[in-house]
Amino acid sequence: MSGHNSSRTVGSLPDTTADSSLVPVALTWLVWSMFAASIAVLAVRVRTGFVWEIPGAVAIDGLTVLMWVVVTFFSGIVHSYSRRYLAGSRLKTPFFATVFGFTVIVMGLVAANHLALFGALWLAMGLLMAKLIGIVSGWDQAQAAATVARKYFIASSTLLGVALTALWWATGATTVSGLTTASDSLGGPVWLVAAGALVLAAMIQSALIPFHGWLLSSMTAPTPASALMHAGFVNAGGILLTRFAPVISVDPVLMLAIVGVGGASAIGGKLLKSVQTDIKGKLGCSTVGQMGFMIMQAGLGFFGAAITHLILHGFYKAYQFLSAGGQVEHTTPSEGTPHTIGMTTSIVGGVITLLTGLAGGAVFTVLTGKGTHVDSGLLLTFFVVFTTLHAARNAVQHTSLPPAARYGAVPVVFFPAIVIYAAVYTGVSGLMPVSPATTELTLLHGIIAVFFVGIYIGIETGIHERSQRLYVALLNAGQPSADTMLTTTEDYNEY
Amino acid sequence: MSTESAIHDSIDTAATTVGSLWPIHSFVTANPLAGFENQPFGEAVTQAADLLGGRGYPSAETFRAALERGQIDPEILDAELSEAGYEDDPEILLDHMANTADATDSDSDTATDRVDQVLTKWLSAFLDEGSAHWSMPNREAGFYTAFRGVAEHDGDIPDEGIITDLPETPSETIETVLAPHPESQWVPIFEEQLAALPGWTGLIKQRADDEGAWQSAYPISLAGYLAARLALLDAVDAAIAPSNTSIDPDPTAELAGAFLRAWEASYRGDLVETVSVESQSLADSDTSGRPDAQMVFCIDTRSEIIRRHIEATGDYETHGYAGFFGVPMEYQGYDTDVSVDACPPILDPQHHVTDVPTDDDTRESHDRLSGIRETADEIIETLEANAATAYGFVETAGSGYGLALAARTLVPGRVQELLDVADDSVPDEHEFCEPLVHHQHTYTGDLPVGLTTDEKVEYAATAFDLMGWETFSRLVVFTGHASETTNNPYDSSLDCGACAGNPGGPNARVLAAICNDTEVRSALRDRGFEIPEDTVFLAGEHNTTTDEVELYDSDVPESHTDDLEQLRADLATARENAAAERAESMRSDASSGVNETERRAADWAETRPEWGLAGNAGFVIGPRELTSGVDLDGRAFLHSYDWSADPDGEALEAILTGPMVVTQWINTQYYFSTVDNAVYGSGSKVTHNPVGNVGVYQGNGGDLMTGLPLQSLMAADDDPYHQPLRLSTVIHAPVDCVNDVLADHAELTDLLDNNWLSLTVVDPTQDHRAFEYEHDLEWSPASELSETDLADPTAPAVSDD
Repeated sequence: MSGHNSSRTVGSLPDTTADSSLVPVALTWLVWSMFAASIAVLAVRVRTGFVWEIPGAVAIDGLTVLMWVVVTFFSGIVHSYSRRYLAGSRLKTPFFATVFGFTVIVMGLVAANHLALFGALWLAMGLLMAKLIGIVSGWDQAQAAATVARKYFIASSTLLGVALTALWWATGATTVSGLTTASDSLGGPVWLVAAGALVLAAMIQSALIPFHGWLLSSMTAPTPASALMHAGFVNAGGILLTRFAPVISVDPVLMLAIVGVGGASAIGGKLLKSVQTDIKGKLGCSTVGQMGFMIMQAGLGFFGAAITHLILHGFYKAYQFLSAGGQVEHTTPSEGTPHTIGMTTSIVGGVITLLTGLAGGAVFTVLTGKGTHVDSGLLLTFFVVFTTLHAARNAVQHTSLPPAARYGAVPVVFFPAIVIYAAVYTGVSGLMPVSPATTELTLLHGIIAVFFVGIYIGIETGIHERSQRLYVALLNAGQPSADTMLTTTEDYNEY
Repeated sequence: MSTESAIHDSIDTAATTVGSLWPIHSFVTANPLAGFENQPFGEAVTQAADLLGGRGYPSAETFRAALERGQIDPEILDAELSEAGYEDDPEILLDHMANTADATDSDSDTATDRVDQVLTKWLSAFLDEGSAHWSMPNREAGFYTAFRGVAEHDGDIPDEGIITDLPETPSETIETVLAPHPESQWVPIFEEQLAALPGWTGLIKQRADDEGAWQSAYPISLAGYLAARLALLDAVDAAIAPSNTSIDPDPTAELAGAFLRAWEASYRGDLVETVSVESQSLADSDTSGRPDAQMVFCIDTRSEIIRRHIEATGDYETHGYAGFFGVPMEYQGYDTDVSVDACPPILDPQHHVTDVPTDDDTRESHDRLSGIRETADEIIETLEANAATAYGFVETAGSGYGLALAARTLVPGRVQELLDVADDSVPDEHEFCEPLVHHQHTYTGDLPVGLTTDEKVEYAATAFDLMGWETFSRLVVFTGHASETTNNPYDSSLDCGACAGNPGGPNARVLAAICNDTEVRSALRDRGFEIPEDTVFLAGEHNTTTDEVELYDSDVPESHTDDLEQLRADLATARENAAAERAESMRSDASSGVNETERRAADWAETRPEWGLAGNAGFVIGPRELTSGVDLDGRAFLHSYDWSADPDGEALEAILTGPMVVTQWINTQYYFSTVDNAVYGSGSKVTHNPVGNVGVYQGNGGDLMTGLPLQSLMAADDDPYHQPLRLSTVIHAPVDCVNDVLADHAELTDLLDNNWLSLTVVDPTQDHRAFEYEHDLEWSPASELSETDLADPTAPAVSDD
């Protein structure tokens, strides 16, 4: 601490020592190398369309390679971020080891073809995530949260085990790809047990209502571990349904049920979020909703759209977690989210808003082909139109802005964004081992569209906020598990 | 006395033990044990340990590390230990201390745990400041009434006891639940219940005392909270009789106290010796002449570093003054709805000052660009909030987030440069706004807008009086300070403590505007301050994270352009050197100090953007010359003071009752946050979860964390960077003058007699000898200062390693 100038130092502070462990540095390099390698494999795959396999054990197809790229990217971000974020923490080395191990296991999971291997890796993935939730070993609440999560993950693994055993029993196939060819013969009660168990396992993994408890109690994990959980781990529900698509899509009624549970979480997650006050709790509820939407897409047969959604949502949610510390604002009581319905808009404004929304949908349609035919693909376009419409409506209402900005901003920003989304969607769909099962437009699709319009109007008018009972129910449903809450800060003593 | 008023009196009495907790957006570094300051330090920490469960002294490992690093002088330690009756070797005593470390496991009672969970749920809902989209129903009726409304729907609350039919007022509820208990038990019952969730109750207490905008919109009182709590305890049938277990004092407290005193004395001895020696040479030299510029900084410990480096670049004089520059104001920036108290929490604001635009063109371009940014934020918020659009939004915007994710993590420095460019295109508010200083004959709330001429003269004269100024340079800069950090809920804890956790730039601008006022100047001349015609006052802001000093130069006349250019160049040099010193203290490469500090300011993955006031241990009140020859390593608060210009002791009185009290608050906050980071601090940032724009949880929720985070104090989990020492104040003035001030202020002698801080006086009229305050206004000559030390100014430092 001396040597800056010649003057004597009075009561100098101690020189601190630098981190000594090389594990974090080495693993960070390694995971980014794996990312680079995955990109290379993806390029080869796109060029040649190969499927490489160790017969009976591992099969590397488009979905595998895509998920390798995604998983190593998120893991690389978490590694690089944590090298600075966890500086000086005694958790650092165990944290890096666990995150890296988790990464390798997930990469194995998306490549696994043998049913037993798949099941074992699924369980290992859950146990490592539970370990991350409780990585602060001396903190009782963190251990309680890890226990909660572990129970859920063991339940989901058990369900998966039941499903895989039943499928093997029914078809004699020992691999996932073997099931695909044998799925035509599936049916009856054994199939129902298998398919039902698969869906439940996916619901637990993706923290769908009513299995969201573990996710909302998981904030004892270090922030980057939460980012990895919300951007990676919960997605495995979607991967599971996509991998076993031939099994679950045997019966449209089951697919309808998947749409139902997904849609319920999509709505419920948003409602739960609306009453939350802590930032990570809000993000957790938001994930419940996003995963519900993703599972709903899968239930509609759009497996490509579901995978696209989980990747893009991962970017969004990882970003939100890693920046969670910056979201404290100094506000006044008058601010808040206004209910926008009832605000007057001129006719011109209304027309321009409508046109902007439709144009957004048109961009998506032209690039993806969705919506050119009257089939269930229209529903995907519907959400694009709706989002653009809402954004345009908001922009137009800002009368303090110059007209060019009010009317121009949304097309200028949104249309390129839609182009990118459409490109990602097309690219991802091209890599899918299962083709999207677009079906004819049915009453169901109409009901979903009407339902979301209803929800939209409900939230914008705030009509549901008249019920105290609903408020209390939502607040209670969004509470973390009781023994994971630090009501006596004295208990937090391990650092 | 009616029962109701007896209840309220008991609550008021019990509430003194609750440490106030300020909302996280305006973090105030206060003593978490402020309510115990009327007791001796040792007894206070024992009582607090009993009530809150926190440690009162550093751990054996911390002492051992300090001993090994030579920060505790072995001779002083031996003296302290034998005085306390310990004859063993310090190492053995430390082993003993470590072995008897209290293994107090909190005996968690499931019934009260359940009550705590219900209460934290409703408190977080009620006290939320705009975080939830759908806030708790009926909040405007107040906490108790709103709670009464939702309790019937809450399945977590058992349908037992008084909660099934809550009386209309809190008093009735409290009275009913307390009926079986004699009045003598009320205060202890309340104390225990208020200590159950000290974070939330501290916030309630502060909010009720402060009467801010949120409190007037949604009122809450400790009585309302206690009524809800007692009703819930009644419902789960938990016993509320105060526990009779006598306080079981920490067996090692006395030993730890001796180690602590020795450590403090080691640091103090070194500091006092320096001041004594320099006091001698100051008296021998004659300091006159007009420096190129005078710069006034906050007394904050971080100012010491930049001041040292500025002084090294040229003929500059730097001074220390409270960072709110003596102007107790409420400040409202341009284009914000929020007013902040820009003065220390021991004062109430007396003026409302707003920023008003003076340059319409720049303002328009600012408004246009910031309007677009705000609209974009708002659109994203509404898209995220609606279930029908949130999913589509995530899909269209996801790729952008992916890009930002990679950029901010992998190349934080580059991102910062990009943001800077974008930021520069939007004019800063200080480029087109000026604080409205003139009295407007209107009121905002209870406060007059602006200042009258008399008030202006008073503030300017007070500043020069307190700092003991006689000469004025061509340039005089008042430099406030602010931090610059990213992704940090505790950013306001790094801002100016004298401005209640707000940036100090606005106050500096107000005082500069006052001093440039011709009317004020002529009045000042009448009061004996000969300010030359060519003296120009300007304001600036010191960025404590990057050590950049920004000058607000819009009013500087052309005649001073050259002076300003030179100052700017020297500030840049000083910044480079200061940043290198900082980078080194953060274990980074000192050769790229500026880049490194800028990276830390902008990096979202950085949990230690700067060290803040960590390390603070001393407070020197006297001329800068006493310390300008040494490197204080950013550990000392410095207040300029010239005893010879203060014959009646008024300035000294103002410094002791103002800045000294505030520095003691800051010092004790750092002390307790370090010795028990779980109970008095807020734990590791790694698992923080901000809640309701008011506080921070650890993990899933529960009680609010209260003090500073671990990363603000510790270099590593087990390696404290902050040295937990009580403040050593050193005053350069005659002992009698100091004694006169203390005699008039019982609140100061209380603090001193109870050992919350120490006071040493270096008396320039008594041969520059040092005297230590003992107790009851008695002094003893400082023991470390032998005649040989005084005769030999180059004597090695006692605890220098």
